[in-house]
Amino acid sequence: MTPVETPPLPDYDREARLFWGLRRRVLSAHFNQLMTTARFRTLLVVLLSTLFWAGLFALFYGGFEFLVRFVGKPGAQNHALTVRFVFHLFFASLNVMLIFSAGIILYSGLFSSPETRFLLTTPARAERIVVHKFQEAVLFSSWGFFLLASPMIVAYGLVAEASWGYFVLFLPFIVAFVFIPCSLGAILCLAIVYRLPRFRTGVLAIAALGAILWAGQSIWVTVRSPQEKLFGSEWFQETLRRFQFTQNEWLPSSWLCNGLLEAAQPTPLSGVQRLSELPIVQALMYLVLSATTAQVCQFAVVLLGKRWFRTAYSQLECRPRRRRKARLAIVDRGAELLLSPLSRPIRLLLMKDWRLLRRDPVQWTQFLIFFGLLGLYFLNVDRFNNPGSDISYLTWVNMVSFLNLAVVGLILSTFTTRFIFPMISLEGRRFWVLGLMPVKRETIVWSKFIFAAIGSLGPCSLLILLSDLMLRVSTLVVVVHQLTTVLLCLGLSSIAVGLGATMPNFREPSPSKIAAGFGGTLNLVLSALYIMAIVVLTALPCHFYLIAGSSPMHETFINPKSLRLWLIGGTAASVVVGALATIIPLKRGIAAFNKLELY
Amino acid sequence: MIEFHSVTRRYGDKVAVDALNFTIAHGELFALLGHNGAGKTTTVKMLVGLLRPERGAVRIAGYDVTASTREASQLVGYVPDQPYLYDKLSGREFLQFVGEMHGLPPQEVVAAIQRESERFSLGPFLDDLTESYSHGMKQRTVFASALIHQPQVLVVDEPMVGLDPQNIHLVKDLLRAQASAGVSVLMSTHSLDVAEKIADRIGVMHRGRLIFLGTVTELRELRGGNESLEDLFLSLTSEANAQANRPAREPTRENGE
Repeated sequence: MTPVETPPLPDYDREARLFWGLRRRVLSAHFNQLMTTARFRTLLVVLLSTLFWAGLFALFYGGFEFLVRFVGKPGAQNHALTVRFVFHLFFASLNVMLIFSAGIILYSGLFSSPETRFLLTTPARAERIVVHKFQEAVLFSSWGFFLLASPMIVAYGLVAEASWGYFVLFLPFIVAFVFIPCSLGAILCLAIVYRLPRFRTGVLAIAALGAILWAGQSIWVTVRSPQEKLFGSEWFQETLRRFQFTQNEWLPSSWLCNGLLEAAQPTPLSGVQRLSELPIVQALMYLVLSATTAQVCQFAVVLLGKRWFRTAYSQLECRPRRRRKARLAIVDRGAELLLSPLSRPIRLLLMKDWRLLRRDPVQWTQFLIFFGLLGLYFLNVDRFNNPGSDISYLTWVNMVSFLNLAVVGLILSTFTTRFIFPMISLEGRRFWVLGLMPVKRETIVWSKFIFAAIGSLGPCSLLILLSDLMLRVSTLVVVVHQLTTVLLCLGLSSIAVGLGATMPNFREPSPSKIAAGFGGTLNLVLSALYIMAIVVLTALPCHFYLIAGSSPMHETFINPKSLRLWLIGGTAASVVVGALATIIPLKRGIAAFNKLELY
Repeated sequence: MIEFHSVTRRYGDKVAVDALNFTIAHGELFALLGHNGAGKTTTVKMLVGLLRPERGAVRIAGYDVTASTREASQLVGYVPDQPYLYDKLSGREFLQFVGEMHGLPPQEVVAAIQRESERFSLGPFLDDLTESYSHGMKQRTVFASALIHQPQVLVVDEPMVGLDPQNIHLVKDLLRAQASAGVSVLMSTHSLDVAEKIADRIGVMHRGRLIFLGTVTELRELRGGNESLEDLFLSLTSEANAQANRPAREPTRENGE
């Protein structure tokens, strides 16, 4: 059969221009929409990101200043050793994280996005679709890297009084570097789906578990050395030796670190015989090495995308689907027993939400990872304690214990924003199910609140108790902390449920997009303010009460009676704030949800 | 124009499409019928290049869809059952992208958008972002995108779902007009009345196999009587079901099996 006459298909250049045009138009529409409909949210996000950047910058700046003051000035051997260690370890860890995040993001972009399904039915080249999605994966996985790495690099440059070349080169270095691990992640993603489509989750889980176990074991070994040796010279040498592999010359993170450290050095005024001995030239050579490797890696992604993508997509679509059977698990029976004192409608609603949560690993694994990491940190927090009982140590322990409390609260607030706030909106989409049942609307709101409060109280109380036990704080602090945890869990749950019911978004099916809207942002801001208020109200009086009690000078300056009054007053005020933050949002949420017209 | 040669595709152990053989000629409107899970969507996905046949070959105007995917795709206009539009593009921008991806020069795309806009009455909302479109508006835009490059082959998967009577009428007329203009149309559908009215030929799929291929009249002659396509379809598939579920006969000494 003779092929029919058709116009020539776009060549590589035209196809690339069409895809860039597509991206430009989509981004420009997004930006215009943000500026007209969500200016406040956008400004808030920019402001919070700037604050986060500034906070990290201050932290790194302080750290490097400490290094210069107590370890050695730039140029000294110990300074160089320490900075090299910090840079290499930091960037090698981010190297691994970039491989995983780029691979995972590319997987969802290439194999489960409706856009890819559409593009595959057009005459677009397979490799162009892969590159289009790869660019997104690089952007999404590296913005976090940039937010973490840039304050550290700038802070070091300022402390070490680096030459101008350092500040000019650090951005090209970051860009060249991120393409290498991201390309590796992309290649692994394509290879796994192409070769082992049925086992992709298992392969990823084994790799992630291996990396976590290995990192956990390294940290454990490092901080578990005998107390008297911790932070000593021998411990330091041993730690350097243990992480020596991060300085391997073949690692792209080493090229980035070496290049940056070379660029930071001052230009020698004499004694240079060859141009290549100049630090800035050395830095440029590392940059060229990184940039060319990045290009080769991206070329490999294009090549493998061309060869594998369509077949891999088809194989994945045609993989055997396992039937997921709903079984009555033991945990369900336990939950039913736990909820038995509640009324039947609330119990049924809670059991429904519990089953939805249990069968959606995306939700509970995030909860598990964050609280697991916190637990790991709390388990090791006693490594830095001091057998003495001087006032600075007591101050430190109290401060850390309250900071731990605030951290648990802040992490909980991100979860209530991400998972609890959208619950009413999602319920609204299925409202025909609940709407036809003889259940009062306020029962639905109450059930969400109870679900969030019970679900958060258990893990948060346990974590705070663990932190307190490891820090060996006094009984008073333990009691105050447990009370604060209860207030935080009730208040944060109520704010999320109340705002969720007051500002529902029934058009959006994705909970993450609902959480990213104005209501979700407001929920996050109000939650952070509430945490700050509660922790300050309980922590400050308790802290001063304990410090003053252990200092012989306290009676001279502060009357113990007024300190006790302050402690009681602070606790009472926190209970009042907690009660208000629990009652008001819930009441307003119920009223709003009762009035709501669903259509 | 469209050829399926012994095409097989499995999902693990489950055979979704089993040794499928049929061709659709120029200007023919072919309706693919079958229950849910019969293999219609897999067939359509292999035709538009989303899935690759495990065995056999799918050809469009002589191009093997697996080996010459781009060339084959250029000839196809596809309206999927769950159409995709970029939320943050206007209908015009979307049509422009699709047109140019199919090789149309920019000036021809402008004329083609005008033509499709008139055909589907897209004018009032063509420059709005597609996120604000109703289902009907989206469906009309997707039809316009499928026809913007004047394809030789039109593939439509469940085109009537969610459309109001006026739009259903529009789609039926459109499919018939495309076939009359020489386009090969493959329509996968559950709407038996529509298939009966507009299809030149039908193919009935059951458990991955084509159990009937021909015109509705031929099916009536085969089954006897003057039943509607709905009745014919139901009796045909029930019979196929019964045959598939019948236990294999025990070997006996008498017949030497």
